[in-house]
Amino acid sequence: MRRMTVIQIEGLRKTFRTLRGGARVALDGFDMTVEAGQVHGFLGPNGSGKTTTLRALLGLVHADDGRMAVLGHQTPVELPAVAGRVGAIVESPQFFGNFTGRRTLRLLATAGGVPHERVEEVLDQVGLRDRGDERVKGYSLGMKQRLAVASALLKQPELLILDEPANGLDPAGIREMRDLMRDLAAAGVTVLVSSHILAEIQLICDHVTIISRGRRVASGPVADVVSGFDKGEYRVRVADHERAAEVVRAAGLPVTVHDDHFVVGDLADPAWVSQTLGGQGLWVRELTPLTPDLESVFLQLTGTEPEPGAHKQVDDAVRPGSETELTVSVAAEDPK
Amino acid sequence: MNLVRAEVSRLLARRFTQLMLVLLVGAFVVTIATTLASSHRPTAAEWERAEFQVVQEESRHEEMREHCESGRGTTDFCQALSERKPRLEDYLFGVFVFEREIRALVYFMAAFLALFGFLVAASFIGAELNSGGMTNLLLWRPQRLTVLGTKLGTMLGGVLAVALVATIGYIASFWVIAQANGLPGDVDAEFWGDLTMVVVRGLLLVLGAAALGFCLATLGRHTAAAMGVVAGYAIVWEVGARIVMEVVETDRAETFMLSTYLGAWMDGRVTFYDGPCMGSFAECSYSLTWAHGMIVLSALVAVVAVGAFASFRQRDLA
Repeated sequence: MRRMTVIQIEGLRKTFRTLRGGARVALDGFDMTVEAGQVHGFLGPNGSGKTTTLRALLGLVHADDGRMAVLGHQTPVELPAVAGRVGAIVESPQFFGNFTGRRTLRLLATAGGVPHERVEEVLDQVGLRDRGDERVKGYSLGMKQRLAVASALLKQPELLILDEPANGLDPAGIREMRDLMRDLAAAGVTVLVSSHILAEIQLICDHVTIISRGRRVASGPVADVVSGFDKGEYRVRVADHERAAEVVRAAGLPVTVHDDHFVVGDLADPAWVSQTLGGQGLWVRELTPLTPDLESVFLQLTGTEPEPGAHKQVDDAVRPGSETELTVSVAAEDPK
Repeated sequence: MNLVRAEVSRLLARRFTQLMLVLLVGAFVVTIATTLASSHRPTAAEWERAEFQVVQEESRHEEMREHCESGRGTTDFCQALSERKPRLEDYLFGVFVFEREIRALVYFMAAFLALFGFLVAASFIGAELNSGGMTNLLLWRPQRLTVLGTKLGTMLGGVLAVALVATIGYIASFWVIAQANGLPGDVDAEFWGDLTMVVVRGLLLVLGAAALGFCLATLGRHTAAAMGVVAGYAIVWEVGARIVMEVVETDRAETFMLSTYLGAWMDGRVTFYDGPCMGSFAECSYSLTWAHGMIVLSALVAVVAVGAFASFRQRDLA
């Protein structure tokens, strides 16, 4: 059964221009689809256009071209009609330092016509119930982040957009945030979360979109995106690993020799390695599948993998030339 | 309505607003206390001396009037003589006379309230834009013009309320001082009518200053931008350009200065020498009235306000 599309972005373009005539392309025909009930990770290197996308979606930045819809309403034109159903934090939101956390939320609740009882509920939900009467300027970065999440939850949103929600949180806070997102997703809230903590995204999110230099380079279920980079590689440890590597290479498989092991690729059946090397009197000590994680996939897709001796610049990220050049096929999925 | 309530809470909860209110009250209290301390009810001896001096002055005036009627005085001198009659209050020193001094005191009050309005308004929006508070608000109410308009309206309402209370308290205080420790002076219906008009123009000036501060800070996205524009204008145009215009002998240079229209608006009429010219001052002068002031100042506020709203509607928010 096809789920309802909660966010639909097509061909989004945005160029920031300076008074001196300079121009920087932030979004270059970006597409994204988020369906109801997903916890959708939104990844990209610094300056790739993540925050610009979220800001455009929320009407804070005017897009030059493209089409966006949230909960079935075109944005930014129809955004007022759905604003009450969308909770969002964009980057690290700033609050008046002299206001208490409770007062900050009450002011927002008043502006949004939300009952003040809801303020107590969200303060409790984000763990600030006992610190709500302290001034925000005394809050740590993590506490401010919790307050921001609380402000986004005030409206009991159907769609929650979180830009770097784990920013400044301690390990316990990160885990709480993870649990919170899972609970919200279980309650039917669609969550779009942008983060640089890729292991966290892999744990929380069921779907992901990766952006690089203003264009989508991959999207789809996290498992599919990651498995698209699974080359069937295994790490093999043998006493005489160089001789063993020669045996495997002779069978026509790609082999990379390291100091104390070698890696074999394109391996359909790992038992073949044990069997073949055992037949040569080479006894396998370790045979480990090298499954890619989201981080390695992200680094490959965006071309931001660190290289020894090279100081990569933020604009060195991959710029996809066209849809056909997308690195993984899942990026070209039909959004309909 | 919810938005208005939220904005009122926000305005009142701001430290800067509270600090400015304290400064405002402090300035008024100092002014009132100084006036009270420096005034006294005239003694019988002072009355007697004043009456004697008025009689002497009237006699001198009579001689000069005859001098003028015989055609020997200059037009300007005779004109001034006919407009000025000796009064008892002129010879009662150290006595606060409400009717004579309240106008200048209201000017001071209007100037201070205008500064208060300008700074509070500029800070109200500047801090929101600078801190990201506006972005937070727009996530709740993605209607830029409504949000900005509500903020401006709320702020103007708040400033007007403060200005009204301050004005009533301020004038009432001086009236009480005049009754208890000075003299009310010749306060007839015409006087109260004039004073009311000055107060009304003063309150409109306060609202204009507040709107200007708000809109300049909106355009510049920062409180300091509004203050910078005013300081820059004052130094570059009011001082620098005025000097240049004097050097190149620009005709009617005063008409290019906002301060001229500000003076005309508050005073009702300002008159400048329109030289080089031969003849009496009346023949060689031109005047600007409060109506000129209203046109120029309201046009300025309107242009800046339209610019601020248009810019805010289109701009990308951080």
